[in-house]
Amino acid sequence: MKKRKNFLAILLSLLPVFAILAVFRVYPIVTSLLKSFTNWDGLYRSDWVGLQNYVNFVRSGQFWMVLRNTLILLINVPLQVFIGLVVALLLYEKVKGWQFYRAMVYTPQIISAVIIGFLFKIFFGFNGPFNLVLKAVGLGSLAIEWFGNSYTALGVIVFSVVWFSIGWQAIVILGGMSAIPSSVFEAAIIDGANYWQRAFKIVVPMLVRVIEFAVIASGVWTLTQLFPFLFAMTRGGPGYETSTLDYMIYLKSFGLGFGRDYGTATAIAVLLLVLVLALTLIEMQVANRADDWS
Amino acid sequence: MARRVKLKGILISALLAVLTLTFLYPMYFMLINSLKTRSEYFVNQFNLPSGQLQLSNYATMISQFRILNLFKNSFIVSSLTVVGLLIVGTFASFVFAKYRFRGRTAIYLAVIATMFIPSQVTIIPLYVLFSRIGLVSTYWSVVLSYLALFLPEAILLMTANFRGIIDELLEAAEIDGCNYFQKVWNVVLPMGRAAIFLSIIFYFIMAWNDLFTPMIFLQSMEKRTVMVALAALMGRYTGAPTLQFAGLLLSAVPALVVYILFQRHIIRGLSVGAIK
Repeated sequence: MKKRKNFLAILLSLLPVFAILAVFRVYPIVTSLLKSFTNWDGLYRSDWVGLQNYVNFVRSGQFWMVLRNTLILLINVPLQVFIGLVVALLLYEKVKGWQFYRAMVYTPQIISAVIIGFLFKIFFGFNGPFNLVLKAVGLGSLAIEWFGNSYTALGVIVFSVVWFSIGWQAIVILGGMSAIPSSVFEAAIIDGANYWQRAFKIVVPMLVRVIEFAVIASGVWTLTQLFPFLFAMTRGGPGYETSTLDYMIYLKSFGLGFGRDYGTATAIAVLLLVLVLALTLIEMQVANRADDWS
Repeated sequence: MARRVKLKGILISALLAVLTLTFLYPMYFMLINSLKTRSEYFVNQFNLPSGQLQLSNYATMISQFRILNLFKNSFIVSSLTVVGLLIVGTFASFVFAKYRFRGRTAIYLAVIATMFIPSQVTIIPLYVLFSRIGLVSTYWSVVLSYLALFLPEAILLMTANFRGIIDELLEAAEIDGCNYFQKVWNVVLPMGRAAIFLSIIFYFIMAWNDLFTPMIFLQSMEKRTVMVALAALMGRYTGAPTLQFAGLLLSAVPALVVYILFQRHIIRGLSVGAIK
Protein backbone atom coordinates (compact mmCIF):
# COMPACT_ATOMS: atom_id res chain seq x y z
CA MET A 1 0.00 0.00 0.00
CA LYS A 2 2.72 2.43 1.03
CA LYS A 3 4.78 1.47 -2.01
CA ARG A 4 1.90 2.27 -4.30
CA LYS A 5 1.30 5.60 -2.61
CA ASN A 6 4.97 6.45 -3.01
CA PHE A 7 4.87 5.47 -6.63
CA LEU A 8 1.96 7.78 -7.24
CA ALA A 9 3.69 10.68 -5.46
CA ILE A 10 6.88 10.16 -7.47
CA LEU A 11 4.98 9.94 -10.73
CA LEU A 12 2.86 13.02 -10.12
CA SER A 13 5.90 15.01 -8.99
CA LEU A 14 7.94 14.20 -12.05
CA LEU A 15 5.16 14.28 -14.62
CA PRO A 16 5.05 18.11 -14.99
CA VAL A 17 8.81 18.19 -15.56
CA PHE A 18 8.59 15.49 -18.22
CA ALA A 19 5.63 17.21 -19.86
CA ILE A 20 7.32 20.61 -20.00
CA LEU A 21 10.64 19.26 -21.21
CA ALA A 22 8.97 16.98 -23.75
CA VAL A 23 6.82 19.69 -25.31
CA PHE A 24 9.13 22.69 -25.11
CA ARG A 25 12.56 21.07 -25.45
CA VAL A 26 12.50 17.54 -26.88
CA TYR A 27 9.78 18.16 -29.46
CA PRO A 28 11.47 21.30 -30.87
CA ILE A 29 14.85 19.58 -30.94
CA VAL A 30 13.46 16.59 -32.84
CA THR A 31 11.61 18.94 -35.19
CA SER A 32 14.79 20.93 -35.80
CA LEU A 33 16.65 17.72 -36.56
CA LEU A 34 14.04 16.54 -39.07
CA LYS A 35 13.50 19.93 -40.69
CA SER A 36 17.23 20.47 -41.12
CA PHE A 37 16.97 18.04 -44.04
CA THR A 38 14.24 20.08 -45.74
CA ASN A 39 13.76 23.51 -47.31
CA TRP A 40 11.23 24.46 -44.62
CA ASP A 41 9.84 28.01 -44.57
CA GLY A 42 7.71 27.56 -41.45
CA LEU A 43 4.51 27.31 -43.44
CA TYR A 44 3.77 24.77 -46.14
CA ARG A 45 7.01 24.27 -48.00
CA SER A 46 8.92 21.42 -46.49
CA ASP A 47 10.54 19.23 -49.15
CA TRP A 48 13.24 16.73 -48.37
CA VAL A 49 16.59 18.03 -49.58
CA GLY A 50 18.90 15.59 -47.82
CA LEU A 51 22.16 17.02 -46.57
CA GLN A 52 21.95 20.04 -48.83
CA ASN A 53 21.51 22.61 -46.04
CA TYR A 54 24.61 21.35 -44.29
CA VAL A 55 26.66 21.09 -47.48
CA ASN A 56 25.64 24.57 -48.64
CA PHE A 57 26.41 26.08 -45.27
CA VAL A 58 29.94 24.67 -45.25
CA ARG A 59 30.55 25.39 -48.96
CA SER A 60 29.29 28.98 -48.81
CA GLY A 61 32.18 29.97 -46.59
CA GLN A 62 29.80 31.12 -43.86
CA PHE A 63 30.77 28.12 -41.80
CA TRP A 64 34.43 29.08 -41.88
CA MET A 65 33.58 32.66 -41.07
CA VAL A 66 31.61 31.53 -38.02
CA LEU A 67 34.41 29.17 -37.03
CA ARG A 68 36.93 32.01 -37.21
CA ASN A 69 34.69 34.31 -35.17
CA THR A 70 34.01 31.64 -32.57
CA LEU A 71 37.71 30.84 -32.17
CA ILE A 72 38.53 34.53 -31.71
CA LEU A 73 35.68 34.98 -29.23
CA LEU A 74 36.81 31.91 -27.27
CA ILE A 75 39.95 33.88 -26.34
CA ASN A 76 37.72 35.38 -23.64
CA VAL A 77 37.69 32.06 -21.75
CA PRO A 78 41.34 31.90 -20.62
CA LEU A 79 41.30 35.64 -19.99
CA GLN A 80 38.24 35.61 -17.76
CA VAL A 81 39.35 32.49 -15.90
CA PHE A 82 42.83 33.90 -15.26
CA ILE A 83 41.65 37.35 -14.16
CA GLY A 84 38.88 35.75 -12.12
CA LEU A 85 41.47 33.55 -10.42
CA VAL A 86 43.66 36.54 -9.59
CA VAL A 87 40.67 38.45 -8.22
CA ALA A 88 39.66 35.40 -6.16
CA LEU A 89 43.19 35.24 -4.73
CA LEU A 90 42.98 38.93 -3.81
CA LEU A 91 39.58 38.48 -2.17
CA TYR A 92 40.83 35.38 -0.37
CA GLU A 93 43.20 37.54 1.69
CA LYS A 94 40.09 39.01 3.32
CA VAL A 95 41.44 42.55 3.58
CA LYS A 96 39.24 45.15 5.22
CA GLY A 97 36.00 45.55 3.30
CA TRP A 98 36.56 42.44 1.17
CA GLN A 99 32.85 41.55 1.28
CA PHE A 100 32.03 44.90 -0.27
CA TYR A 101 34.56 44.32 -3.05
CA ARG A 102 33.19 40.83 -3.57
CA ALA A 103 29.68 42.22 -3.98
CA MET A 104 30.90 44.93 -6.38
CA VAL A 105 32.86 42.56 -8.56
CA TYR A 106 29.69 40.59 -9.21
CA THR A 107 27.49 43.57 -10.22
CA PRO A 108 27.99 43.33 -14.01
CA GLN A 109 26.37 39.88 -13.87
CA ILE A 110 23.22 41.44 -12.47
CA ILE A 111 22.92 44.01 -15.26
CA SER A 112 21.37 42.70 -18.43
CA ALA A 113 23.88 41.76 -21.11
CA VAL A 114 21.77 43.88 -23.46
CA ILE A 115 22.56 46.98 -21.42
CA ILE A 116 26.25 46.07 -21.17
CA GLY A 117 26.40 45.49 -24.90
CA PHE A 118 24.95 48.91 -25.69
CA LEU A 119 27.20 50.55 -23.10
CA PHE A 120 30.31 49.11 -24.73
CA LYS A 121 28.99 50.15 -28.11
CA ILE A 122 28.74 53.73 -26.88
CA PHE A 123 32.08 53.63 -25.05
CA PHE A 124 33.88 52.36 -28.15
CA GLY A 125 31.92 54.48 -30.61
CA PHE A 126 33.92 56.74 -32.92
CA ASN A 127 33.15 59.79 -30.78
CA GLY A 128 32.81 57.74 -27.62
CA PRO A 129 34.66 58.16 -24.33
CA PHE A 130 37.40 55.63 -25.15
CA ASN A 131 38.53 57.44 -28.28
CA LEU A 132 38.28 60.80 -26.49
CA VAL A 133 40.63 59.53 -23.80
CA LEU A 134 43.02 58.21 -26.43
CA LYS A 135 43.08 61.59 -28.14
CA ALA A 136 43.51 63.39 -24.85
CA VAL A 137 46.64 61.41 -23.98
CA GLY A 138 48.14 61.94 -27.43
CA LEU A 139 47.29 58.57 -28.92
CA GLY A 140 44.81 60.04 -31.39
CA SER A 141 46.12 57.85 -34.19
CA LEU A 142 44.77 54.82 -32.33
CA ALA A 143 41.30 56.32 -32.09
CA ILE A 144 39.71 54.33 -34.88
CA GLU A 145 36.21 53.19 -35.74
CA TRP A 146 36.31 50.11 -33.50
CA PHE A 147 33.25 48.52 -35.04
CA GLY A 148 34.47 49.32 -38.54
CA ASN A 149 36.28 46.03 -39.12
CA SER A 150 35.56 42.58 -37.79
CA TYR A 151 38.82 42.06 -35.91
CA THR A 152 38.66 45.13 -33.69
CA ALA A 153 34.89 44.63 -33.31
CA LEU A 154 35.48 41.07 -32.08
CA GLY A 155 38.21 42.44 -29.82
CA VAL A 156 35.79 44.87 -28.18
CA ILE A 157 33.25 42.06 -27.78
CA VAL A 158 35.89 39.85 -26.11
CA PHE A 159 36.79 42.74 -23.81
CA SER A 160 33.15 43.34 -22.83
CA VAL A 161 32.55 39.64 -22.19
CA VAL A 162 35.64 39.39 -19.98
CA TRP A 163 34.59 42.48 -18.04
CA PHE A 164 31.11 41.01 -17.65
CA SER A 165 32.33 37.58 -16.48
CA ILE A 166 35.18 38.33 -14.06
CA GLY A 167 32.75 38.47 -11.15
CA TRP A 168 31.24 35.08 -11.85
CA GLN A 169 34.67 33.50 -12.16
CA ALA A 170 35.94 35.14 -8.99
CA ILE A 171 32.95 34.03 -6.90
CA VAL A 172 32.97 30.45 -8.17
CA ILE A 173 36.75 30.09 -7.74
CA LEU A 174 36.56 31.72 -4.32
CA GLY A 175 33.88 29.17 -3.40
CA GLY A 176 36.33 26.42 -4.40
CA MET A 177 39.07 28.03 -2.32
CA SER A 178 37.01 28.08 0.84
CA ALA A 179 37.02 24.28 0.68
CA ILE A 180 40.81 24.24 1.19
CA PRO A 181 41.49 23.51 4.86
CA SER A 182 43.32 26.30 6.67
CA SER A 183 45.83 23.82 8.07
CA VAL A 184 47.34 23.66 4.59
CA PHE A 185 48.16 27.36 4.79
CA GLU A 186 49.44 27.18 8.33
CA ALA A 187 51.82 24.44 7.24
CA ALA A 188 52.94 26.56 4.28
CA ILE A 189 53.57 29.59 6.47
CA ILE A 190 55.69 27.51 8.84
CA ASP A 191 57.63 26.20 5.83
CA GLY A 192 58.29 29.81 4.92
CA ALA A 193 56.39 29.95 1.63
CA ASN A 194 55.84 33.51 0.44
CA TYR A 195 52.63 34.87 -1.01
CA TRP A 196 53.13 33.94 -4.65
CA GLN A 197 54.53 30.53 -3.81
CA ARG A 198 51.51 29.93 -1.65
CA ALA A 199 49.12 31.15 -4.29
CA PHE A 200 50.41 29.31 -7.30
CA LYS A 201 52.06 26.23 -5.79
CA ILE A 202 49.46 25.37 -3.16
CA VAL A 203 46.14 27.04 -3.88
CA VAL A 204 45.95 26.74 -7.65
CA PRO A 205 46.77 23.00 -7.83
CA MET A 206 44.03 22.33 -5.31
CA LEU A 207 41.57 24.17 -7.55
CA VAL A 208 42.01 22.06 -10.68
CA ARG A 209 38.45 20.71 -10.46
CA VAL A 210 36.90 24.15 -10.07
CA ILE A 211 39.01 25.73 -12.81
CA GLU A 212 38.17 22.89 -15.15
CA PHE A 213 34.48 23.48 -14.52
CA ALA A 214 34.92 27.24 -14.98
CA VAL A 215 36.67 26.73 -18.33
CA ILE A 216 34.07 24.36 -19.76
CA ALA A 217 31.12 26.35 -18.42
CA SER A 218 32.39 29.60 -19.90
CA GLY A 219 33.27 27.80 -23.14
CA VAL A 220 29.69 26.57 -23.49
CA TRP A 221 28.49 29.99 -22.42
CA THR A 222 30.54 31.64 -25.18
CA LEU A 223 29.02 29.30 -27.75
CA THR A 224 25.45 29.89 -26.62
CA GLN A 225 24.92 33.15 -24.74
CA LEU A 226 26.56 35.89 -26.78
CA PHE A 227 23.34 36.90 -28.52
CA PRO A 228 22.66 40.11 -26.52
CA PHE A 229 26.29 41.28 -26.88
CA LEU A 230 26.30 40.73 -30.64
CA PHE A 231 22.83 42.14 -31.09
CA ALA A 232 23.75 45.32 -29.25
CA MET A 233 27.20 45.89 -30.71
CA THR A 234 27.42 44.59 -34.27
CA ARG A 235 24.20 42.72 -35.16
CA GLY A 236 26.54 39.98 -36.34
CA GLY A 237 27.67 42.16 -39.21
CA PRO A 238 28.82 43.58 -41.47
CA GLY A 239 27.30 40.61 -43.33
CA TYR A 240 28.15 37.62 -41.17
CA GLU A 241 31.57 38.96 -40.20
CA THR A 242 30.99 38.89 -36.45
CA SER A 243 28.33 36.16 -36.28
CA THR A 244 28.51 33.04 -34.18
CA LEU A 245 26.48 29.85 -34.65
CA ASP A 246 23.72 30.96 -32.30
CA TYR A 247 23.53 34.40 -33.87
CA MET A 248 23.44 32.88 -37.35
CA ILE A 249 20.35 30.86 -36.37
CA TYR A 250 18.64 34.12 -35.52
CA LEU A 251 19.74 35.90 -38.69
CA LYS A 252 18.61 33.06 -40.94
CA SER A 253 15.19 32.77 -39.34
CA PHE A 254 14.09 36.07 -37.81
CA GLY A 255 16.77 38.53 -38.94
CA LEU A 256 15.43 41.30 -41.15
CA GLY A 257 16.77 41.22 -44.66
CA PHE A 258 18.36 37.80 -44.39
CA GLY A 259 15.40 35.82 -45.71
CA ARG A 260 13.42 33.18 -43.91
CA ASP A 261 15.60 30.16 -44.35
CA TYR A 262 14.31 27.88 -41.61
CA GLY A 263 15.92 24.85 -43.27
CA THR A 264 19.45 26.21 -42.99
CA ALA A 265 18.71 27.76 -39.60
CA THR A 266 17.64 24.39 -38.17
CA ALA A 267 20.72 22.75 -39.71
CA ILE A 268 22.91 25.28 -37.86
CA ALA A 269 20.86 24.64 -34.71
CA VAL A 270 21.65 20.93 -35.01
CA LEU A 271 25.38 21.68 -35.37
CA LEU A 272 25.26 23.89 -32.28
CA LEU A 273 23.31 21.25 -30.36
CA VAL A 274 25.88 18.55 -31.15
CA LEU A 275 28.71 20.86 -30.11
CA VAL A 276 27.08 21.81 -26.81
CA LEU A 277 26.06 18.25 -25.92
CA ALA A 278 29.59 17.04 -26.64
CA LEU A 279 31.03 19.66 -24.30
CA THR A 280 28.43 18.84 -21.62
CA LEU A 281 29.32 15.15 -21.83
CA ILE A 282 33.01 15.95 -21.58
CA GLU A 283 32.29 18.06 -18.52
CA MET A 284 30.24 15.28 -16.92
CA GLN A 285 32.82 12.61 -17.75
CA VAL A 286 36.13 14.34 -17.18
CA ALA A 287 35.13 15.91 -13.91
CA ASN A 288 33.27 12.80 -12.86
CA ARG A 289 30.29 14.99 -12.31
CA ALA A 290 27.97 12.08 -13.00
CA ASP A 291 29.00 10.72 -9.60
CA ASP A 292 28.77 14.03 -7.82
CA TRP A 293 25.37 14.84 -9.18
CA SER A 294 23.41 11.66 -8.63
CA MET B 1 57.60 41.53 8.90
CA ALA B 2 54.54 43.31 10.27
CA ARG B 3 55.20 46.21 7.95
CA ARG B 4 55.36 43.89 4.97
CA VAL B 5 52.04 42.34 5.89
CA LYS B 6 50.52 45.79 6.17
CA LEU B 7 51.96 46.85 2.82
CA LYS B 8 50.52 43.77 1.20
CA GLY B 9 47.11 44.58 2.65
CA ILE B 10 47.23 48.10 1.23
CA LEU B 11 48.31 46.83 -2.16
CA ILE B 12 45.50 44.29 -2.32
CA SER B 13 42.94 46.86 -1.20
CA ALA B 14 44.17 49.27 -3.86
CA LEU B 15 43.88 46.65 -6.61
CA LEU B 16 40.38 45.71 -5.52
CA ALA B 17 39.37 49.36 -5.30
CA VAL B 18 40.57 50.01 -8.86
CA LEU B 19 38.65 46.99 -10.07
CA THR B 20 35.54 48.17 -8.26
CA LEU B 21 35.87 51.57 -9.92
CA THR B 22 35.88 50.01 -13.39
CA PHE B 23 32.57 48.34 -12.50
CA LEU B 24 31.04 51.47 -11.02
CA TYR B 25 32.24 53.97 -13.60
CA PRO B 26 29.85 52.97 -16.42
CA MET B 27 26.91 53.48 -14.07
CA TYR B 28 28.21 56.84 -12.99
CA PHE B 29 28.76 57.73 -16.65
CA MET B 30 25.17 56.80 -17.53
CA LEU B 31 23.81 58.73 -14.57
CA ILE B 32 25.63 62.02 -15.15
CA ASN B 33 25.01 62.03 -18.88
CA SER B 34 21.34 61.15 -18.57
CA LEU B 35 20.96 64.41 -16.64
CA LYS B 36 22.42 66.57 -19.41
CA THR B 37 21.04 68.11 -22.56
CA ARG B 38 22.12 66.66 -25.86
CA SER B 39 24.42 69.56 -26.72
CA GLU B 40 25.96 69.55 -23.28
CA TYR B 41 26.75 65.84 -23.71
CA PHE B 42 28.54 66.41 -26.99
CA VAL B 43 30.61 69.24 -25.51
CA ASN B 44 31.76 67.23 -22.56
CA GLN B 45 30.94 63.65 -21.68
CA PHE B 46 33.04 63.41 -18.55
CA ASN B 47 31.98 66.41 -16.50
CA LEU B 48 29.16 66.57 -14.05
CA PRO B 49 26.13 68.31 -15.55
CA SER B 50 26.57 72.06 -15.27
CA GLY B 51 23.64 74.18 -14.26
CA GLN B 52 20.21 72.66 -14.12
CA LEU B 53 19.75 68.93 -14.02
CA GLN B 54 17.80 67.72 -17.02
CA LEU B 55 15.09 65.43 -15.76
CA SER B 56 13.32 65.61 -19.12
CA ASN B 57 15.00 62.39 -20.32
CA TYR B 58 13.44 60.51 -17.46
CA ALA B 59 10.11 62.22 -18.02
CA THR B 60 10.22 61.12 -21.68
CA MET B 61 11.02 57.55 -20.65
CA ILE B 62 7.97 57.48 -18.43
CA SER B 63 5.45 59.41 -20.52
CA GLN B 64 6.42 58.53 -24.09
CA PHE B 65 8.10 55.16 -23.70
CA ARG B 66 5.76 54.17 -20.91
CA ILE B 67 8.59 52.40 -19.17
CA LEU B 68 6.36 51.64 -16.20
CA ASN B 69 4.14 49.59 -18.49
CA LEU B 70 7.26 47.79 -19.77
CA PHE B 71 8.29 47.13 -16.18
CA LYS B 72 4.85 45.67 -15.57
CA ASN B 73 5.22 43.30 -18.54
CA SER B 74 8.69 42.21 -17.45
CA PHE B 75 7.44 41.77 -13.91
CA ILE B 76 4.55 39.56 -14.99
CA VAL B 77 6.77 37.38 -17.15
CA SER B 78 9.49 37.05 -14.50
CA SER B 79 7.06 36.37 -11.65
CA LEU B 80 5.05 33.75 -13.51
CA THR B 81 8.33 32.07 -14.48
CA VAL B 82 9.54 31.96 -10.89
CA VAL B 83 6.22 30.70 -9.51
CA GLY B 84 6.07 27.95 -12.11
CA LEU B 85 9.68 26.98 -11.48
CA LEU B 86 9.08 26.71 -7.75
CA ILE B 87 5.90 24.65 -7.98
CA VAL B 88 7.21 22.20 -10.56
CA GLY B 89 10.82 22.26 -9.37
CA THR B 90 10.24 21.73 -5.64
CA PHE B 91 8.24 18.52 -6.00
CA ALA B 92 10.56 17.07 -8.60
CA SER B 93 13.69 17.96 -6.62
CA PHE B 94 12.24 16.48 -3.44
CA VAL B 95 11.58 13.21 -5.25
CA PHE B 96 15.06 13.18 -6.81
CA ALA B 97 16.65 13.95 -3.45
CA LYS B 98 14.74 11.69 -1.08
CA TYR B 99 13.02 8.83 -2.89
CA ARG B 100 14.63 5.70 -4.24
CA PHE B 101 13.15 4.27 -7.40
CA ARG B 102 14.32 2.39 -10.46
CA GLY B 103 16.05 4.58 -13.02
CA ARG B 104 16.36 7.58 -10.74
CA THR B 105 19.94 8.40 -11.69
CA ALA B 106 19.27 7.96 -15.39
CA ILE B 107 16.15 10.15 -15.33
CA TYR B 108 17.90 12.79 -13.24
CA LEU B 109 20.91 12.94 -15.55
CA ALA B 110 18.65 13.09 -18.61
CA VAL B 111 16.86 16.10 -17.11
CA ILE B 112 20.13 17.80 -16.15
CA ALA B 113 21.75 17.11 -19.53
CA THR B 114 19.31 19.49 -21.24
CA MET B 115 20.61 22.33 -19.09
CA PHE B 116 23.11 23.77 -21.53
CA ILE B 117 21.00 23.56 -24.69
CA PRO B 118 20.50 27.18 -25.70
CA SER B 119 17.14 28.63 -26.64
CA GLN B 120 18.34 29.33 -30.18
CA VAL B 121 18.27 25.59 -30.92
CA THR B 122 14.57 25.29 -30.14
CA ILE B 123 13.32 28.75 -31.07
CA ILE B 124 12.10 28.07 -34.63
CA PRO B 125 9.93 24.99 -33.95
CA LEU B 126 8.65 26.69 -30.79
CA TYR B 127 7.72 29.79 -32.73
CA VAL B 128 5.81 27.73 -35.27
CA LEU B 129 4.14 25.75 -32.48
CA PHE B 130 3.13 28.88 -30.55
CA SER B 131 1.77 30.61 -33.62
CA ARG B 132 -0.33 27.54 -34.42
CA ILE B 133 -1.91 27.45 -30.98
CA GLY B 134 -2.23 31.24 -30.80
CA LEU B 135 0.27 31.87 -28.02
CA VAL B 136 2.55 34.29 -29.90
CA SER B 137 2.42 37.73 -28.28
CA THR B 138 1.12 36.30 -25.02
CA TYR B 139 3.14 36.14 -21.81
CA TRP B 140 2.67 32.38 -21.75
CA SER B 141 4.87 31.80 -24.79
CA VAL B 142 7.81 33.34 -22.96
CA VAL B 143 6.97 31.89 -19.55
CA LEU B 144 6.65 28.34 -20.90
CA SER B 145 9.94 28.66 -22.80
CA TYR B 146 11.67 29.93 -19.67
CA LEU B 147 10.24 27.10 -17.57
CA ALA B 148 11.67 24.55 -19.96
CA LEU B 149 14.96 26.45 -20.15
CA PHE B 150 15.52 27.01 -16.41
CA LEU B 151 13.93 23.89 -14.85
CA PRO B 152 16.93 21.54 -15.22
CA GLU B 153 19.30 23.96 -13.52
CA ALA B 154 16.78 24.84 -10.80
CA ILE B 155 16.26 21.13 -10.14
CA LEU B 156 20.03 20.61 -9.95
CA LEU B 157 20.31 23.40 -7.41
CA MET B 158 17.34 22.38 -5.27
CA THR B 159 18.05 18.64 -5.34
CA ALA B 160 21.57 19.25 -4.06
CA ASN B 161 20.11 21.31 -1.23
CA PHE B 162 17.21 18.99 -0.38
CA ARG B 163 19.61 16.05 0.01
CA GLY B 164 20.84 17.78 3.14
CA ILE B 165 17.41 17.58 4.79
CA ILE B 166 17.61 15.14 7.69
CA ASP B 167 15.68 11.93 7.02
CA GLU B 168 14.49 11.72 10.63
CA LEU B 169 12.52 14.93 10.17
CA LEU B 170 10.68 13.45 7.21
CA GLU B 171 10.04 10.24 9.10
CA ALA B 172 8.76 12.16 12.11
CA ALA B 173 6.42 14.11 9.85
CA GLU B 174 5.15 10.83 8.43
CA ILE B 175 4.56 9.38 11.88
CA ASP B 176 2.64 12.54 12.75
CA GLY B 177 0.35 11.67 9.90
CA CYS B 178 1.58 14.12 7.28
CA ASN B 179 0.71 13.17 3.75
CA TYR B 180 3.00 13.89 0.80
CA PHE B 181 1.91 17.49 0.32
CA GLN B 182 2.09 18.24 4.02
CA LYS B 183 5.62 16.85 4.11
CA VAL B 184 6.64 19.17 1.31
CA TRP B 185 4.89 22.11 2.96
CA ASN B 186 6.01 21.51 6.55
CA VAL B 187 9.49 20.04 6.10
CA VAL B 188 10.92 20.58 2.60
CA LEU B 189 9.96 24.23 2.18
CA PRO B 190 11.32 25.42 5.54
CA MET B 191 14.44 23.24 5.46
CA GLY B 192 15.24 23.93 1.82
CA ARG B 193 14.50 27.63 1.99
CA ALA B 194 18.06 28.65 1.14
CA ALA B 195 17.91 27.00 -2.29
CA ILE B 196 14.30 28.05 -2.86
CA PHE B 197 15.05 31.65 -2.00
CA LEU B 198 18.12 31.69 -4.21
CA SER B 199 16.08 30.29 -7.12
CA ILE B 200 13.47 32.99 -6.71
CA ILE B 201 16.00 35.82 -6.86
CA PHE B 202 18.25 34.26 -9.45
CA TYR B 203 15.65 33.27 -12.03
CA PHE B 204 13.71 36.47 -11.55
CA ILE B 205 16.81 38.42 -12.56
CA MET B 206 17.57 36.00 -15.41
CA ALA B 207 14.06 36.38 -16.82
CA TRP B 208 14.11 40.14 -16.30
CA ASN B 209 17.39 40.55 -18.19
CA ASP B 210 16.75 38.23 -21.12
CA LEU B 211 16.33 39.63 -24.62
CA PHE B 212 16.22 36.79 -27.14
CA THR B 213 13.09 34.82 -26.24
CA PRO B 214 10.73 37.78 -25.64
CA MET B 215 12.09 39.55 -28.70
CA ILE B 216 10.97 36.67 -30.90
CA PHE B 217 7.70 35.81 -29.17
CA LEU B 218 6.30 39.15 -27.99
CA GLN B 219 5.57 41.05 -31.16
CA SER B 220 2.71 43.15 -29.89
CA MET B 221 3.89 46.52 -28.59
CA GLU B 222 1.58 46.20 -25.60
CA LYS B 223 3.21 42.99 -24.37
CA ARG B 224 6.90 43.80 -24.91
CA THR B 225 9.26 43.40 -21.98
CA VAL B 226 11.60 46.19 -21.00
CA MET B 227 14.71 44.67 -22.62
CA VAL B 228 12.92 44.25 -25.96
CA ALA B 229 11.73 47.84 -25.91
CA LEU B 230 15.18 49.02 -24.82
CA ALA B 231 16.79 47.26 -27.78
CA ALA B 232 14.35 49.06 -30.07
CA LEU B 233 15.02 52.38 -28.37
CA MET B 234 18.78 51.97 -28.75
CA GLY B 235 18.45 51.18 -32.43
CA ARG B 236 16.13 54.04 -33.25
CA TYR B 237 17.22 57.00 -31.14
CA THR B 238 20.95 57.09 -31.83
CA GLY B 239 20.67 60.87 -32.17
CA ALA B 240 19.50 61.24 -28.58
CA PRO B 241 22.24 59.64 -26.48
CA THR B 242 21.21 61.27 -23.22
CA LEU B 243 17.74 59.77 -23.58
CA GLN B 244 19.37 56.40 -24.26
CA PHE B 245 21.41 56.67 -21.08
CA ALA B 246 18.26 57.33 -19.09
CA GLY B 247 16.66 54.26 -20.66
CA LEU B 248 19.68 52.03 -20.06
CA LEU B 249 19.99 53.11 -16.45
CA LEU B 250 16.28 52.81 -15.64
CA SER B 251 16.11 49.30 -17.14
CA ALA B 252 19.01 48.17 -14.98
CA VAL B 253 17.60 49.56 -11.75
CA PRO B 254 15.03 46.87 -10.77
CA ALA B 255 17.50 43.99 -11.02
CA LEU B 256 20.13 46.04 -9.19
CA VAL B 257 17.71 46.78 -6.37
CA VAL B 258 16.96 43.07 -6.00
CA TYR B 259 20.71 42.41 -5.95
CA ILE B 260 21.43 45.07 -3.33
CA LEU B 261 18.71 43.65 -1.09
CA PHE B 262 19.69 40.00 -1.41
CA GLN B 263 23.38 40.21 -2.31
CA ARG B 264 24.50 37.92 0.52
CA HIS B 265 22.12 35.12 -0.46
CA ILE B 266 23.12 35.29 -4.10
CA ILE B 267 26.84 35.17 -3.41
CA ARG B 268 26.54 32.43 -0.84
CA GLY B 269 24.40 30.40 -3.23
CA LEU B 270 26.86 30.88 -6.07
CA SER B 271 29.77 29.79 -3.92
CA VAL B 272 28.23 26.46 -2.99
CA GLY B 273 26.30 25.50 -6.07
CA ALA B 274 27.50 26.15 -9.54
CA ILE B 275 25.03 28.20 -11.49
CA LYS B 276 25.75 29.93 -14.69
